Amino acid sequence: MGVMDGILEGAKVALSLQGIAFVLMGVLLGTIIGMLPGLGPITAIGVMIPISYGMDPAMALVMMAGVYYGAIFGGSTSSILLNAPGVAGTVATAFDGYPMAQQGKAGKALAIAAISSFFGGTVGVVLLMLFAPLLATVAVSFGSPEYFALMLLALTAIASLSEGSTIKALISGTLGFMVAMIGIDGQTGTSRFTFGSSSLLSGIDFLVIALGIYALAEVFKLIVDRNKDDGPQRTIGSIKLSKEDLKEMSGPASRQSIVGFLIGVLPGAGATIASFIAYITEKKIAKNPEEFGKGSIKGLTAPETANNAATSGAFVPLLSLGIPGSGTTAVLLGAFMVMGIQPGPLLFTEQPNIFWGIIISMYIGNIFLLILNLPLIPYISKILNIPRPMLISLVTVFCLIGVYGISFNTFDLYLLLAFGIIGLLLRLVSFPAAPFILAFILGGMIEQSLRKSLTISNGSFMIFLERPITLAFLIITVLSLTIPALLSLRKKGKTA
Amino acid sequence: MLASQNKKVSLILIGLGSVFLFMSYKLPKYTLVPVDADAVPIFLGYLLIFLSIILFFTKDQETEVEDGEEQVTKPKKGLDKNTKMLLVFGGIVLFYIVLLEILGFLITTAIFIFITTLLLGYKKHKTNIIVALAVPVGFYYLFNFVLKISLPKGILPF
Repeated sequence: MGVMDGILEGAKVALSLQGIAFVLMGVLLGTIIGMLPGLGPITAIGVMIPISYGMDPAMALVMMAGVYYGAIFGGSTSSILLNAPGVAGTVATAFDGYPMAQQGKAGKALAIAAISSFFGGTVGVVLLMLFAPLLATVAVSFGSPEYFALMLLALTAIASLSEGSTIKALISGTLGFMVAMIGIDGQTGTSRFTFGSSSLLSGIDFLVIALGIYALAEVFKLIVDRNKDDGPQRTIGSIKLSKEDLKEMSGPASRQSIVGFLIGVLPGAGATIASFIAYITEKKIAKNPEEFGKGSIKGLTAPETANNAATSGAFVPLLSLGIPGSGTTAVLLGAFMVMGIQPGPLLFTEQPNIFWGIIISMYIGNIFLLILNLPLIPYISKILNIPRPMLISLVTVFCLIGVYGISFNTFDLYLLLAFGIIGLLLRLVSFPAAPFILAFILGGMIEQSLRKSLTISNGSFMIFLERPITLAFLIITVLSLTIPALLSLRKKGKTA
Repeated sequence: MLASQNKKVSLILIGLGSVFLFMSYKLPKYTLVPVDADAVPIFLGYLLIFLSIILFFTKDQETEVEDGEEQVTKPKKGLDKNTKMLLVFGGIVLFYIVLLEILGFLITTAIFIFITTLLLGYKKHKTNIIVALAVPVGFYYLFNFVLKISLPKGILPF
């Protein structure tokens, strides 16, 4: 089947009445959850998984994707209005968005954010349409050794690019990998680390990890921060933009949509890094950089364009290789698997309706988001008035039902609580949680591809060096680990 | 200087890594497979210990800078109060899990939402009661009748 036929198949999914309804539902829920401070896209997707059981996989995934980019879109609202970013990818949005709101121009700031996000998101989808099939066509020839090397690359990249300390990110990843080892080993039938419990034989469900380490831990953190004042809610004011405003936005928007997309494609780098890089570069090349941080239009446009473009970019490796590059896409991959769909090159050739359905739905989703975030934002932002105590109780219930709904076993609920506590502890000692979840998802896959490769080669590790693509991935992996270390050593040498 | 957070965490992790290694070595062996079931776990055990040793010698400041000074200067009393609240909240979640299959989803969830919301300082009781009743009923309907995932009905007849 040609690409054009595939696109038509996808359009049938995305443009059907049902498809449009689910996209709308996804982006609306994403916007709402992303807006709530403390709750990010991982929680949003995790909570949606149980609700999508039994749904047609294509529809469920179209909705789930909507939740993801909707959350990044919605995160900007609380950044601008409350200086409390709903998601990490919109932290840089607050730098200039919040000062604007303080100057009584909240409406204008929200409009700039919405238009930039729409632009970034749409350019991102166009590029996604070009890149993803290209990569999928190349990836069809990949065997176990290539996948092993690629997953290793995905794993190390997040460690070296993760926020905070590299060593802590690596440890967090190792712990996640260890948890992935629990359960029966597929190749030898050995039960590993099950402590004799039959409930652990099939391993720990990914939803328990996602909802525990992320959602429940976020709830616990909210309990600690529950008395923090969000500041008074401001009136939003006019959302009209002048021609000059739009002209000022055009530069950063066109540059950062492409940069953001490319950063999003890289494993390990996502919306957060893209938004910071966009902010910093625009500040560097600006004629009047002193305006940045005081309500600059450019300073708001840049990160908002980049984070949404990066979100589209993150779908490239996910859809065409089946490899997540971040904690959020790892959870999305988990959602695919729950639906019985394995993303990757075969999805492109065998289930083009899903592959293209998701991509095409993103055009529609972005239009919906523009509508939701422009004229309707004064109403939607009322959701920020939900009292914290109520929010904490409700999210906890969501997590508990979500897990119970898949296993019907209270044992998994105890595990959920345990992982919630582990997630909180990780946060308290400032260990990033994203590497944990990424390593947990990739862990089992890496082990499997390693063993398959070595079975092919009769135990010889030369198989990884003899195949050019594998070798190239391994070299990039080593470089991505050593270059940051070398750079930081050089920095230290200079300051000493 | 055991007072530093990194050192404490590192020692705990080294302990965890050692237990993991011990258990990995005890896994049964198969000779016919090129990579046995214990290979990757053993590697991970050593990796964790190795990384934890590096953490042991890493200065704390490096990681605490980006958290801002706010956290460092947090009054001790506030933290204790929060710890207590977390423990109580965790305890209530535990109770919820124990009672879920006995009393059923509707009753347990309604009580859970009401009590935790109250406990966390929400004063409008009427709103609280309405939410605590409406949310479980809404979910119960959605799961049992729309999604066909049956949540425990417990002592209630429906």
